Amino acid sequence: MISADQSPLLVAAFAAYLASTLFYLLHLVLRRRLLWRFAFFLVVTAFALQSVCLAERWLAAGYLPVTNLFATQFFFSWALAATYLYFEIRYRIHAAGLFVIFLNLLLLTSALPRDPVIPPLIPALDTPLFTLHIFFSFVGYAFFAMAFSLAVLYLVQRRLATDLLPPLPLLRQLNEEAIFLGFCLFTLCLIFGSIWAYVAWGYYFSWNIKGVWSFLVWIFYAGMCHAKFVRRWQGTGYAWLSVAGFGVVLFTYLGIGLLLSSNHPLN
Amino acid sequence: MALRPLFASLWRLLCSLKLAIVLAAAVTLLGIGGSLAMHFNPGVFGDLDRMILGRWWSTAGSSAPLLSWWVPVGALLLVLLGLNTFCCFLDWARRIRYRWRKCGEYLIHLGFVLVLLAYFWGSVAGFRSEGNRLFVGQTLPLPSLPGHFLRLEAFEPIFAENGRPVDMLSTVALLHGDNVLTRQIVRTNTPLTWKGLAVLPGSFGRTVEGFFVHIAGVGRVSLSSGTELSLPDGLRLRVLNFTADARRLAGGRIARGSGEPRSPAFELELSRRDGSIWRGWYLFAEGPPSPLTEAGLLLRPIEPLYRPYSILTINGDPGASLALIGGLAMLAGVLLALVSFYYKRGRGDRPEVW
Repeated sequence: MISADQSPLLVAAFAAYLASTLFYLLHLVLRRRLLWRFAFFLVVTAFALQSVCLAERWLAAGYLPVTNLFATQFFFSWALAATYLYFEIRYRIHAAGLFVIFLNLLLLTSALPRDPVIPPLIPALDTPLFTLHIFFSFVGYAFFAMAFSLAVLYLVQRRLATDLLPPLPLLRQLNEEAIFLGFCLFTLCLIFGSIWAYVAWGYYFSWNIKGVWSFLVWIFYAGMCHAKFVRRWQGTGYAWLSVAGFGVVLFTYLGIGLLLSSNHPLN
Repeated sequence: MALRPLFASLWRLLCSLKLAIVLAAAVTLLGIGGSLAMHFNPGVFGDLDRMILGRWWSTAGSSAPLLSWWVPVGALLLVLLGLNTFCCFLDWARRIRYRWRKCGEYLIHLGFVLVLLAYFWGSVAGFRSEGNRLFVGQTLPLPSLPGHFLRLEAFEPIFAENGRPVDMLSTVALLHGDNVLTRQIVRTNTPLTWKGLAVLPGSFGRTVEGFFVHIAGVGRVSLSSGTELSLPDGLRLRVLNFTADARRLAGGRIARGSGEPRSPAFELELSRRDGSIWRGWYLFAEGPPSPLTEAGLLLRPIEPLYRPYSILTINGDPGASLALIGGLAMLAGVLLALVSFYYKRGRGDRPEVW
């Protein structure tokens, strides 16, 4: 069920993402260039529609509206699509990024029935530091999700050695790139978040479970940025680490926000 | 002579990439378990953000070692990781002529070490204090900074149209003796900061310190403890006391209740032209006392006279500036690392990112 107050732009974007997924799957089976092109066109269209919707909400609210579950799902979905386009445009990964689009659809499927109303902003959130903090947080998460997707494909390709998927060296390279970029962006998220916490509460590290897990995400991926230089961890080991890392990310975003009480509630 | 290879081995270990990975993995695993213990035991860990880590450990943490052992172990692992990171940085710095393209990555290393150092410093030498209630004009000594005082010079709560409080503007001056060191309007996201000290708005409230009354022939006046009025017919009225919640006991004595304006009362002194003086209580609930009405003094209570106060959070962290420098080093490092990454990509190099 889609909420009656939902923006038609977002519904159209969802439909376009859904259609693009189908065309990518067809391309995976039939290997027709036209199918891939159409699928790509649909993703670009969906992303453009979602971006307009985001801009509309931003303008209406006067701040980047990422303060409840609907808004975070919406923004995370937008960041995932942006990340997918980055890899698609640079590397022509085609259906190799399908997991990210699936995750995107999953997020939108969960978001669309929710009330899209923009809640009044808590005064402490009314600062550009908050905007920068959440922007880099979700874009970082999106790159970690892409790394997860590429890692799973790496493990599948290693087992199946199929022509349907990109070669192992490319998957490994892209996985490393996604981890590196995700780590850089997440570092920016923590820096801006810490400065904001200091001016808002007088300390830059909170022992709240969200704060601790954010630090754990950072330290885990910092370790991963080093692990690729250790021969034993290259390739398969690195792919498994990417899978585990995304588990930590998912718990930090959804697990803590929904299951536990924290200073970053989603409900 | 045997010390040289030993030192070289130790240096290699301290700069080891594998050591960094092992320590990062250990911190992650320990933190996962520890954070869950933390979340489900608020009785032990609930005050972690209300005090510095060192003070928490000496009070709540050390009294529950089975639940909190992971905190010192984690701290030890982080110290080792910091040492390892710093040694890596030094190792890079002495070869900077050949490895300058890694500036970004190693600035992140340096920034991490500085932030870690700053956090441990603040956790030992800092302080946190919540719920400091100040009325306008009041001065508060800062026990953690001997000789320093905080004075609230003005206070204005800001409300939205629907009555929701949206901000609190407290003009605060930091004094050393009589000298003003700094002055700032403290509001949400705008603390007063001075050498590691941060003064932030916490909340606000108000107390009833008197009442506005209408006096026939005079008009609306505010009465609070200490007010003196010269009235027509040579009368003089002095307010000796005000209480927001008064109750008359047997024998006529007055008992004070809560600070809420439930049953306000003034203790008054009325001097008449003939020199006679009446002293007594005027409980609003009982109506004006007869000496007032007989003197022709008609007081009609209108509304309470509130006195607002600001509740401030006062934290001290000597490592805050160092942490900011570390954060900025990391920020610069990330930007340089990204530039270097895309530069190499532009040249067609394999994107060797670290």
